[in-house]
Amino acid sequence: MKDLKENIFRTIITIGAVLSGILVLLVFFYILKESIPFFREVSYKEYLFSSSWRPLSTNPAYSFLPMISATLYVSFLAILIATPLSVGCGLFLSFNTSKKSSRIILSFIDMIAGIPSVIFGFLGLVLLVKFLERNLDMVSGESVLAGALLLSVMLFPYIVTGCTETFMKAKDIYYGASQSLGVSKWYTMRRIILPFARKSIFVNMILALGRAIGETMAVMMVTGNSPIFPKLLGRAETIPSLIALEMGTATYKSLHYSSLYAAGLILIILVLIIQVIAYMINKAGMRRIG
Amino acid sequence: MRAKELMFKFWVILSGIIITVITFGLFLYILYKGIGVVTPEFIIGSPKGIPLGTQGGVFPAIMGSILSGLISGILGGVLGLCTAIYLNYYCKNEIIRKYILNALQCLAGIPSVVIGLFGYTFLVVGLGISKSLLSASITLTVMIIPFISIRMKKALEETSKEQYISSLSLGIPKGYTIVKLIIPSAFKYIMTSLGLGTVFAMGATAPIMYTGVVIVSGVPGKLTDPFMALPYHLYILVNEGLSVEMAYGTAFVLIVIVLFINIACHFTGKNEDV
Repeated sequence: MKDLKENIFRTIITIGAVLSGILVLLVFFYILKESIPFFREVSYKEYLFSSSWRPLSTNPAYSFLPMISATLYVSFLAILIATPLSVGCGLFLSFNTSKKSSRIILSFIDMIAGIPSVIFGFLGLVLLVKFLERNLDMVSGESVLAGALLLSVMLFPYIVTGCTETFMKAKDIYYGASQSLGVSKWYTMRRIILPFARKSIFVNMILALGRAIGETMAVMMVTGNSPIFPKLLGRAETIPSLIALEMGTATYKSLHYSSLYAAGLILIILVLIIQVIAYMINKAGMRRIG
Repeated sequence: MRAKELMFKFWVILSGIIITVITFGLFLYILYKGIGVVTPEFIIGSPKGIPLGTQGGVFPAIMGSILSGLISGILGGVLGLCTAIYLNYYCKNEIIRKYILNALQCLAGIPSVVIGLFGYTFLVVGLGISKSLLSASITLTVMIIPFISIRMKKALEETSKEQYISSLSLGIPKGYTIVKLIIPSAFKYIMTSLGLGTVFAMGATAPIMYTGVVIVSGVPGKLTDPFMALPYHLYILVNEGLSVEMAYGTAFVLIVIVLFINIACHFTGKNEDV
């Protein structure tokens, strides 16, 4: 009787695990399979090095270059804006506020990560884009800059939480010693804590970059979506926006359809490269400390 | 030297203040702008006016979001828990274990829009399931499985290893130990992962855009009905320029639901580990 129950439990667990395993593999293989016709049909010179995207014209051209550069432009700019602020904020929360208030502030910053991105897109449109239009004298505020600013706010939780954790750890190790030597708090932060956390800051940056690249709704709503080469104050279209916008119009099994899968595959490869880099830096760091 | 120190102080304090202000400002702004729009009629009414959505309420969207969140939460929760238990206690082959973990991590990194593309072409076009609650929920489930199972695996790992080993050496079967000992002691964390996964599913727009959500519909009565969802409704209101006021109301409802579940998870989860 007991054995039977055990076996049933084991079977249920195994079936569940196998089912999720199958789903995961299915997604990967499906994306790969559907993008193969595109890679077979279109040469890498065209999709990586030419410059125009017009899948529906009679003389179709498929180049991901404008979208890839827009994706990287928006994401890197967002990281460049978010990192200094987040690192500063992390230091502030670890050294300049009471434990209790920093915990409360941190949990609210954490909750930003849970806000649906469509709400960010909405706020970006009514606040940020309007602000840019008014102050920078732009015809339309929908631009790379708007996307990057909005995205940087969405990245705060990822960088702040990661950095603060490291700062707190560094504080536990060094702060007592440096205090008893009479070194000032600010000097300790600048010359001891910050260098100690350098690697962790970098890893958090890279992980946030991975998230930034895949962000769809928020960026799509404020960047204007024209498949042209991105300029700071001009419109642009990122790879996720391209997929989201053209998914419904592409004819099933056409080259256009396959090209969207190819775009998705390129996006995944970008994210994977970023994750692997972060993983390797993390591992190297571990070895040196441990 | 002095100047450097001053600059440093200035930078730290300024960025601390900026991020804190933006964080609280965000929540307060939505709550402040939305609270005037949200009336009982807004919550229990259907979209009205011409074009639809400029007046009336968002009840079908609330129900659609809750239903799709619930279905994908249950599916993803069951599959995620099974995966986590299997990886921690039943998988004997180290290589398979590693591969499954890596695959989950990779899937967690896939942008949600790509999963939406997969759901649309595989479920809706390929298998011929109509644009419906069912296909949208399955797509969302695929999206949250890695999210949930990685967190649940961590939750199981935090339980006492000694208790588990003692229980086994007393001759108590493995499955019984897991059900009666491990799961109860990790219950809070398991529920937290489930809650956060559900919120993640409810807030997602890109995966459901083409798999089941429509601009206007009633409350879905069966799994094969198309449905409305709050994030998509908000997107349409804003993108088509229908009504900014209604958009604030919709954003308010969405953020209140998300915050409520988030805060509940956050504080029950936190008490344990501090």
